[in-house]
Amino acid sequence: MPNQNGSIYGLSILSPIIDDPSVNPSHDLQIREILATLSTGAESPFAIAPGTHMARFVVLDDVIFVGYPSVEEHLQSKYLILESNLDGDLDTYLRGLIAAAPQQLDAIYNHCVGYPGSSNPRAFVDYMKSCQLETTFLFAAVNDKSLPETLRALQTQRAVSDFIVTHQGTEPARLQSEFAQFAAKLKSLPIPKPASTTMHRELKIGGRNE
Amino acid sequence: MSNINGKVYAMSAVTPMKPWKTIIVRAIFFLLWNLKFLQKDLRDLSFIEFARWVIVPAGKFPHLAASQKQENLKNDYMFFFSNFNGTWNQYIDAFSAVLASGLNLVWRWSDKFPGSVPVTPFKQYIDRVQFTTDYYYTSYPHATANDLKSAHIVQASFDSLAAQAETSSPEQFAAAYRKFVLEVQAHLGDTGQAPIVF
Repeated sequence: MPNQNGSIYGLSILSPIIDDPSVNPSHDLQIREILATLSTGAESPFAIAPGTHMARFVVLDDVIFVGYPSVEEHLQSKYLILESNLDGDLDTYLRGLIAAAPQQLDAIYNHCVGYPGSSNPRAFVDYMKSCQLETTFLFAAVNDKSLPETLRALQTQRAVSDFIVTHQGTEPARLQSEFAQFAAKLKSLPIPKPASTTMHRELKIGGRNE
Repeated sequence: MSNINGKVYAMSAVTPMKPWKTIIVRAIFFLLWNLKFLQKDLRDLSFIEFARWVIVPAGKFPHLAASQKQENLKNDYMFFFSNFNGTWNQYIDAFSAVLASGLNLVWRWSDKFPGSVPVTPFKQYIDRVQFTTDYYYTSYPHATANDLKSAHIVQASFDSLAAQAETSSPEQFAAAYRKFVLEVQAHLGDTGQAPIVF
């Protein structure tokens, strides 16, 4: 149950960040700097590697103190959170990720405690699993379609709209012939690449009015 | 750094809980998982693409090396990660209006949770416990939860029609095509551009 909902796997990773006062900028700031410029489009490591529907990185500076009578306490380390919603098997996913984007992942995770680097995929998988948290409850609006199926369906939706519009009132024999050609052409098209329609977005924190 | 990518907003929040309350929350999630009808309102809102809760017990923050300082926490912490469509205000307003009892059931065990109604202190609480996303990726940034559901409906109907396109007579195909259009007409269109946010 916890990490899986249908065919969707909910990966939750909490990686301690190196705390070294002699390093300037600090490791957490260096991670933030990398993440600020990392592509969220087709060049993203999550777009290049297979199987990621959605993912986020968050640098957790500290836990939140909500006020008395809650206990005020603070984390001894900062943590890098990775939350990913992915297709299928975890080992396959992690191996795919490190194979597709070793340099980007090294750049980020070299600032984390115990990171073994990308040269040994088994060690990378073991490291990520040592930082993995069990997802308590995972919800997915669509939990039985893979990423390729989803991208294909979005492509079909657009194409079908156009076909219906341009074939209103078409006589049956011609409609059938042209639909058969349309279906064959649609089937022959490659599946759209993940995040290929991403718009460039200016820096936006996503404040409380967004 | 952005909480937004296309039409999807990434909300990340963490709330402290006394450890003895964690057991209760886990039991609630167990029921929610196994009694699927309890999720009906959440599904019907149809603006969340993925969401999860992750409870981290006080002693379970990963400790990977002797050089890393040991945590010494008294609280358990419940992380909440949501990927939803619409604005922050729309999201919380909808939850407060439609899912108040469900929200209260899950979050009442977190310290200082004010309840989801009235909505103003609820929003103040979320503002306090929310933290900003540093990097947000989605493979289909322009597709909302409804776009995804509609696309799969269109694909299924299209596959069914395509399977019989070769073997039907033109009149049979035309009848099947009309049926197809009726099935998909509410699910068509381009996902379009993301809304401009100021």
